[in-house]
Amino acid sequence: MHAEEIAEDFPVVTIDSNALDAARMLAEHRLPGIVVTDSSGKPYAVLPASQVVRFIVPQYVQDDPALAGVLNESMADRAAEKLGRKTVRDVLPEHLVNVPAAHADDTIIEVAALMARLRSPLIAVMKDGKLHGVITASRLLAAALKH
Amino acid sequence: MTALAIAVFVVAYVLIASDRINKTLVALSGAAIVVAIGVVGSDEVFYSRDTGIDWDVIFLLFGMMIIVSVLRQTGVFEYIAIWAAKRANGSPLRIMILLVLVTAVASALLDNVTTVLLIAPVTLLVCDRLAINAAPFLIAEVFASNIGGASTLVGDPPNIIIASRAALTFNDFLVHMMPIVVIVMVVFVAMLPRVFRGSFDVDPERVADVMALEEREAIRDPGLLIKCGVVLVLVFTAFIAHGVLHIEPSIVALLGAGVLIVISRLERSDYLSGVEWETLLFFVGLFIMVGALVKTGVVDQLARAATEATGGNALLTVMLILGVSAPVSGIIDNIPYVATMAPIVSELAAGIPDPAQSQALWWALALGADFGGNLTAVGASANVVMLGIARRTDNPISFWDFTRKGAVVTAVSIALSAVYLWVRYFVFA
Repeated sequence: MHAEEIAEDFPVVTIDSNALDAARMLAEHRLPGIVVTDSSGKPYAVLPASQVVRFIVPQYVQDDPALAGVLNESMADRAAEKLGRKTVRDVLPEHLVNVPAAHADDTIIEVAALMARLRSPLIAVMKDGKLHGVITASRLLAAALKH
Repeated sequence: MTALAIAVFVVAYVLIASDRINKTLVALSGAAIVVAIGVVGSDEVFYSRDTGIDWDVIFLLFGMMIIVSVLRQTGVFEYIAIWAAKRANGSPLRIMILLVLVTAVASALLDNVTTVLLIAPVTLLVCDRLAINAAPFLIAEVFASNIGGASTLVGDPPNIIIASRAALTFNDFLVHMMPIVVIVMVVFVAMLPRVFRGSFDVDPERVADVMALEEREAIRDPGLLIKCGVVLVLVFTAFIAHGVLHIEPSIVALLGAGVLIVISRLERSDYLSGVEWETLLFFVGLFIMVGALVKTGVVDQLARAATEATGGNALLTVMLILGVSAPVSGIIDNIPYVATMAPIVSELAAGIPDPAQSQALWWALALGADFGGNLTAVGASANVVMLGIARRTDNPISFWDFTRKGAVVTAVSIALSAVYLWVRYFVFA
């Protein structure tokens, strides 16, 4: 089986879209992550859900984890308030790995190895330089276990 | 050979000052060239006190960096800062004063860059809660860290270099530098309302948000905090007891770091997290380049020229060193400046008969370099780090805003230092 056969359509967000909308999309559809494209549609980043969760963590807590517990419950509950004014570009983590993309003709093992190495629950599949689809970890395992 | 060494040195300094290329790369490249062309050899680089790498400085920095890495894991700093902010009852001016004092004291014990890295996130948190701009607070804290750091041997890397070169002890710094730092801090705090006028308006309803912060939650490992506290007390006691124990600060710091590593049981990545390898290598490269200048006799010539210019007059020399150090180290980083000036001042000091006045030359260099670091946004590493943090978090600090305020603070602190040096070492000699 090749990557392009396992890949599925996946909701994407552009880098200039609203961060709150992006987070909401992930929450409502219970996605394992989101694919961020630049304005031309080219994949810019693939964010596992654990990195999207960072959107609501203030920068000063990301810089100093000791401050996480200091905010009381009501402040924590309102953490997502500021997100509405920001774009996805504003909240993307600084150290972005290059987009983990598999080629359309990669095998199950190649995709699985890439996923494991990058610890990413989803992988973009590229064909002819364009985004063909996305493979999630559960879909990959389903395909592997079928045999 | 001499001309080449000077050329390498000058080019390296220009590149370091311009901040275009990674300064560690520049320093090591400069060092590589002077070694490769044979100005200095391995004996002079590794085993000479006059021309080589100052290992006391390197290992004191290394030891303190590890101690700080462990200390950071405890959250004690954040606890103190939030506790202080709550004590201020939400008044932004009082918060600034308290955070400035916390920063100054911390900076005396730890190096300035670490202090800035520790105080910035909690400042951003408090200002975020109050919905006020954090930039004035961050700038004030940088000034406080450069001022407070001048008071002890370990507070600022220029002091470490000076201490090693001049054989000054931790207690020497306490006795000679602490008094003027306290004076300058008092004046600086008094100046805050004027320098940062307009930064203190807050919506009274936001005050409750700050009072609701739970500082106890910042300390996640009380056991580690106690261990750190004990080791820190022992380390500083050993610094002070140098006259009795005869253990150099570098060794004390290494021993303290070793003990902390063992008893804290932290992972290697945690206890090494604060070790700035690039900074240590930068020092290595710098020492080698300066050593090449010493070996070729350039330093001797410069010192003789300076002695001729001042006619061997101690007071004039002291004021000249202070007056030149402040602006120069405000423009180029104070570390390369002091590394270069140290051997020159050493020669000058040797020519002054009165020991107290001879030592005053070193205090002038320390005060000029430490306080001068506040002059511009690039005058000290702490400034650069803080501006970087501010830029990332939507509270940008413009170069000119910083420099305008920095010029005032530097002018006042240098004026006070000049009076202090004159009165203490010449009037009451």
